[in-house]
Amino acid sequence: MIPRGHDVDSTVAEHILGDLGVAYAITDAGFNVVQESGSVDILWERPESCLGRCLIDCVPELVGCEDLLADVLAGDLPRFELAWANRETADGQTLYLTIVLLPYRHPSGRDSGLVYVVQDVSDMGLVDRQLAQSRNELRLLQEQLTRQNLELAAANAELRRLDKMKSAFVSVAAHELRTPLAPIRGYLEVLLDEDVGHLNAEQREYLEILRRSVQRLLVLTHNLLDATRIETGRVELVLRPADLSALIESVVAEHSAQVEARAQRLEVQLSPGLPPALCDEARAVQIVGNLLSNAVKYTPPGGRIDVTLAPAGEAGFLEVSVADTGVGIPPEDHPKLFERFFRSSSAVIARATGAGLGLYITRSLVELHGGRIWFESEPGEGSVFHVTFPVAGLHAAPASSSAPSDP
Amino acid sequence: MLRAISKKICLLGDFAVGKTSLMRRFVYDLFSDKYISTIGVKVSRKTVAVPDAGGVVELTMMLWDLGGGDEFERVRPSYLRGAAGAVLVCDLTRPETLARLRDYAGELRAISPAASLVLAANKSDLADGRQLTPAQVESAAADLAAPHYLTSARTGEGVEGLFRHLARLLVA
Repeated sequence: MIPRGHDVDSTVAEHILGDLGVAYAITDAGFNVVQESGSVDILWERPESCLGRCLIDCVPELVGCEDLLADVLAGDLPRFELAWANRETADGQTLYLTIVLLPYRHPSGRDSGLVYVVQDVSDMGLVDRQLAQSRNELRLLQEQLTRQNLELAAANAELRRLDKMKSAFVSVAAHELRTPLAPIRGYLEVLLDEDVGHLNAEQREYLEILRRSVQRLLVLTHNLLDATRIETGRVELVLRPADLSALIESVVAEHSAQVEARAQRLEVQLSPGLPPALCDEARAVQIVGNLLSNAVKYTPPGGRIDVTLAPAGEAGFLEVSVADTGVGIPPEDHPKLFERFFRSSSAVIARATGAGLGLYITRSLVELHGGRIWFESEPGEGSVFHVTFPVAGLHAAPASSSAPSDP
Repeated sequence: MLRAISKKICLLGDFAVGKTSLMRRFVYDLFSDKYISTIGVKVSRKTVAVPDAGGVVELTMMLWDLGGGDEFERVRPSYLRGAAGAVLVCDLTRPETLARLRDYAGELRAISPAASLVLAANKSDLADGRQLTPAQVESAAADLAAPHYLTSARTGEGVEGLFRHLARLLVA
């Protein structure tokens, strides 16, 4: 039979509170526990009854809070709540509890004390802890990334500073090297022209060696200066319509002595009726000259070199190709071929001299014109280098540095 | 004469600076590499004997390990009430965690003006990743009027000294 009246209500209330994970205790004015209801596992630090004991001795979260308890008892503080109190169970699990303290007034008005309420919110607490864990791990990663970015930015700034210093040094060194080369070359010419006296064969041979060395030094200093101008954006192109066929013929003529000396065969094929290219003539000569000079250097005596000019596959461009039957370039060197100071292992095979700047400069100049450079090569089969120049009148002038050229 | 007292001590600092690890090292002499976020508060206790002029005081340190970070800003004042002292914890590999200690100390002193403070510059074992110099820690500790210790919950360096120093301040 179902009990009646107050007992029924009380039982139902206990069930509801238990289902909600709520337990409570009531204390007297001295904070001694006079009534407890619900699970002692969540009510107290140790899973045992605290009836008759001081509330503070049974709830570690209330140690040091005596003043606060007195305020609640006196009604000065309507309630005190402590959220997310962690308790460890005997089996090592963490319980998350919400603790609330309220003033207690007996209906008779005789006694007063505290109501101590605890709710087990572990389900929510575990989810919240997982969220906090993920959030904090992400923040740690973010902090780490921020620090690494700062370190990288500082390292980059330092590298840029060092690179600038290096460029300035190279530029000054090249200037200083070039200056005395001019009189050396001048006096060599005077001697070789026999303006100051007759040369015997041995003397002439030695002076020719000197002249070739001076020429190499001049090319090197010129390349170093060009490379620093490119790095610092100080190359200025004077773009005008130019006849590439005529330009190629003049470059070929300049190299004819070298080609002849190496007994190479040089063929030139120029498509007729081509429009003029939009280029800086001096730089275009340098571009074609570098490619042809490389072809001569890397092709063995008796080899063949072909220079062709034709419309490019890309509309609005002309294509110059320089093909040789030289040593070729090993595949592993292909990605680095246009890098500054890169010397392919084929240079050793061909015993070619140079500082590894020619193709770097060539590529930079071609790109400043708005053109492209690429190559095909097989070791032992030779190489073909292609460059394109824009046709005059079809393109806007490509971007180039507006700073004045280096003196 | 033996006197027994209990004091509430809060561990304050940003998330993942090692508050829980310091507490576990001091109370249980344990350490785990695994980082587990604390939400809310976990109270542990350790009783130490502290000599004073009148004899020995048996001090039960009620250590409140509080969840770090901004998420608990709203509820933190309720945790700080009644605190007699605090351990301010920063991570030597994360400079921003030292700068934040001023905020935590301010929050505590607004609620418990007389609270004693000590500063733990934690993770001293991570020498390679250290981003804070001893001078920076010293300067921050001087600003907060808090004695400071370089600590490592992993090796135990400085941990006992840190808590014992706070215990003496609480008994004095």
